[in-house]
Amino acid sequence: MPTLTADPRPASAADRGVHWAVMTEITPNTETVPVGEESEAERRERFERDALQYVDQLYSAAMRMARNPSDAEDLVQEAYTKAYSAFHQYNPGTNLKAWLYRILTNTYINLYRKRQREPQRSSTDSVEDWQMAQAAEHSSSGLRSAEAEALDHLPDSDVKDALQAIPEEFRLAVYFVDVEGFAYKEVADILGIPMGTVMSRLHRGRKQLRELLADYAAERGLGADKTTNGRQTAAGREE
Amino acid sequence: MGDCQSLGDCDDRRIVRLYEYLDGALTLEDLNEVKKHLEHCGECAHEYDLECIIRSVVRRSCREMAPQDLKTRIMARINEIRVEVGHG
Repeated sequence: MPTLTADPRPASAADRGVHWAVMTEITPNTETVPVGEESEAERRERFERDALQYVDQLYSAAMRMARNPSDAEDLVQEAYTKAYSAFHQYNPGTNLKAWLYRILTNTYINLYRKRQREPQRSSTDSVEDWQMAQAAEHSSSGLRSAEAEALDHLPDSDVKDALQAIPEEFRLAVYFVDVEGFAYKEVADILGIPMGTVMSRLHRGRKQLRELLADYAAERGLGADKTTNGRQTAAGREE
Repeated sequence: MGDCQSLGDCDDRRIVRLYEYLDGALTLEDLNEVKKHLEHCGECAHEYDLECIIRSVVRRSCREMAPQDLKTRIMARINEIRVEVGHG
């Protein structure tokens, strides 16, 4: 007979994954119930309280991924279902929002991207690449002071269009940092890419976005015209 | 205009520096350096302003509300799930 009180539960693979013994024996019992000892009802309640508060945010992100409300809803629902199924693996005290975003992103990649069959760009993600391109280009913003004002007056639809127009991997990096305020490291975790790649995608994404927004502003006759380069002016654009 | 060398020796480094500043990714020391630079360099301050505006415009535009019943539907689906936690 072992001297330690044996855990009555069989040591299945699932058990080892959750570290039953370690959790119950080493962790002193504080007011938080060890995740594994939660009842199904308790876990549901905790999930509803902690995870579902982000539903609007996840939906907003899903709209930048799936492009239409119905797909975005499906995506969020699917992500939450997955998240719940894995909720016992989530480590309380770590960033729940980032965890949910990672699941959302993975769900999107697995479910929708395959379906959309978006032509993927060649991988030009390396930092060296990006630095060379940037160094050669000069930071020509082309935006003048009046355009700051103009950008501020762009309708939401233009901004969404512009975001949608930049390559997806850039778009997500920009979205996660600029809208959600995630740190580079968190975005790296969410997207499963190195931090340098996050920075390069962010850099390129912001640059492209800025150019597009400047174009839209010019087309709408807002602010100084930066690049009219053959594009239609405000009159030609649908309101 | 302005001594942009303190932010980096090329435009690229400068922009990255401004991004890091904007994104709160700098150490306190570096942050203060950029802050000081922005106070007396009109060119970089202008760049920085534009980046701030774009960020706020993007934030504003992307705020969406999930459909009212989405939460309910999610919970309904979750209620059907029985998660096997270590009852192997």
